[in-house]
Amino acid sequence: MNYPPLLLRLGICGQRRRFSLWLPLFLVWPVAAAVAIVLAPLVLLLALILWPLGLGKLALLSGPLLFGVLCALRGLELNLNRGNRILLISFK
Amino acid sequence: MSDSQKRILDLLAEKKISVDEAQRLLSLTEPDKDTGTRGPDDTPAPGGKPRYFRVQVQPEAGSGKESVNVRIPMALIRAGMKLTALIPGHASEEVNEALREKGVDLDVRNLKPEDFEELVAALTDLEVDVKGGKEKVHIYVE
Repeated sequence: MNYPPLLLRLGICGQRRRFSLWLPLFLVWPVAAAVAIVLAPLVLLLALILWPLGLGKLALLSGPLLFGVLCALRGLELNLNRGNRILLISFK
Repeated sequence: MSDSQKRILDLLAEKKISVDEAQRLLSLTEPDKDTGTRGPDDTPAPGGKPRYFRVQVQPEAGSGKESVNVRIPMALIRAGMKLTALIPGHASEEVNEALREKGVDLDVRNLKPEDFEELVAALTDLEVDVKGGKEKVHIYVE
């Protein structure tokens, strides 16, 4: 099963300074899940209202599909290197 | 050893950076077990599904341009493909038109996850090397 990234690593290395940060994304997900549960009835209502306009499916599916994208971020890595300056963004 | 690490060692050998700085830079470029740059053993096993799409841009040494190393999980591309289901009909037509203007004759409404799986399977052996101007672009899957 796919689950969202737990950590975001940011690394910046300049000529004199080195900065490395591990952001605990796992702290955000319980809050996001609570918000999603609270908003779920509203989204259902919105989907019902928008169904005649052909946008109901969009309202219903956008949440799960965006969650899928979020889960798929795990493993994404970007590394920029210029001379001795480095920028690293990595989802773990 | 990756190109970034070689460049750092070159800079150290040329005494452009100190040992401490080199150590710091090397620690940032050190490949993790699951995120490292490609080594000879990173090629997907025959029949194994590729997990990552890699793009590396390496400038010529001394050109001052930045090197780029991006690792995109295949799952992210798959998830992106699924998002096409959200594109309203009229928007699809506009996307198709924009693609046609760029010379790509593709109907995004016909894109299906099965097609993507087929494409991924074909990508297993893909390795593209482009060397032009002052940089080298390497695209592969692992």
